Amino acid sequence: MVKLLRSAVLVLACGTAAAAPYAIDPTHTFVGFDALLFDLSTARGRFDRKEGSLDFDAAAHSGRVEIVIDTTSLNTGVAALDRQLQALLATGQHPSARFVAERFTFDGNKVAAVDGQLTLRGRTQPLVLKATRFDCYFNPLFRRQVCGGDFEATLLRSEWGLDGGAEIGLADRLRLLVQVEAIRQ
Amino acid sequence: MKSGLTLALLFAAAAARAEPASYVLDPERCVVHWEVVHFGTSTVRGRFGPVNGEVMLDRSGGRGSVSLRFATNTIDTGLRPFNARLREPDMLASTEFPEAYFVATRFRFDGDKLAEVRGEFTLRGVSQPLSLLAKRFGCRRDARGEVCGGDFEAHFERSDFGMTFGLPWIANRVHLVVQVEGVKR
Repeated sequence: MVKLLRSAVLVLACGTAAAAPYAIDPTHTFVGFDALLFDLSTARGRFDRKEGSLDFDAAAHSGRVEIVIDTTSLNTGVAALDRQLQALLATGQHPSARFVAERFTFDGNKVAAVDGQLTLRGRTQPLVLKATRFDCYFNPLFRRQVCGGDFEATLLRSEWGLDGGAEIGLADRLRLLVQVEAIRQ
Repeated sequence: MKSGLTLALLFAAAAARAEPASYVLDPERCVVHWEVVHFGTSTVRGRFGPVNGEVMLDRSGGRGSVSLRFATNTIDTGLRPFNARLREPDMLASTEFPEAYFVATRFRFDGDKLAEVRGEFTLRGVSQPLSLLAKRFGCRRDARGEVCGGDFEAHFERSDFGMTFGLPWIANRVHLVVQVEGVKR
């Protein structure tokens, strides 16, 4: 727990100063995905290493988020599947993926969607992450306001040139499942 | 001749359908994912696996049985300190109760597709009824023979198993998302 706190404090210290800056809480921020294999069952994975920053202003209905994912940290719990998916992402050549969004849609004072650009395997395409849940609360551990939520997007991997995966019957349609919490500075 | 052949084919098909078949779970395609809402704001995800076990299916008879188990110390949230915390005696008690079990004999079919499996889930030495609802179910053939599987969902209250750490900030309701595939013996 001390280690978690220290890393959170480090993120806080490194955050950029802006009107309403939040530092991503790496212990409650994960980019996950799932995809059907042979139309039979759904494999699910996540990226264990990521970093990012978030600025948002509920009153002005504006914001900016940037998340950088270490693609080599892809983890499904099945080593063979990790290797196959990392080959698809060409993680050796493209060790990071990035999502940057500057268009936030609000429903009242809650974020409803973020409209940005996803870069995978060196190719950038538009992507909208829709909030399935969003809220702010006072976190007793950090003694600060935390805002966050769950976001989802469906993408066709072929649009990012992620071909292959036939040996595992990997569907073209992938679902991204993103958990985000960020600590107000 | 033609009707004789049709009759023979029908008979063969009926015989094939009537025969109960047993399947060995494929540990590379059997993972128990779970989701719990954190401070009403975002979803914490983790998983258990590999899952091992056997399934008997009698699709024409509308019957079946399943017995599966997984080691509770395989819990993986992507955060080592959190995994360690969840293995402690007041949560999974992984040392005292190293395995969790699901045993079921009440199978409900919708046509020849498996729709629901009702049985008993044992976690932390506590057994409670649990219903797994099929979100999809099907069979295909590959080099190993017939493979059947799908995606199932279930939920339970963790306090029913004596796990009350973090209530109410970390929700009581645990949502399970289960990937299952089994290879016919």
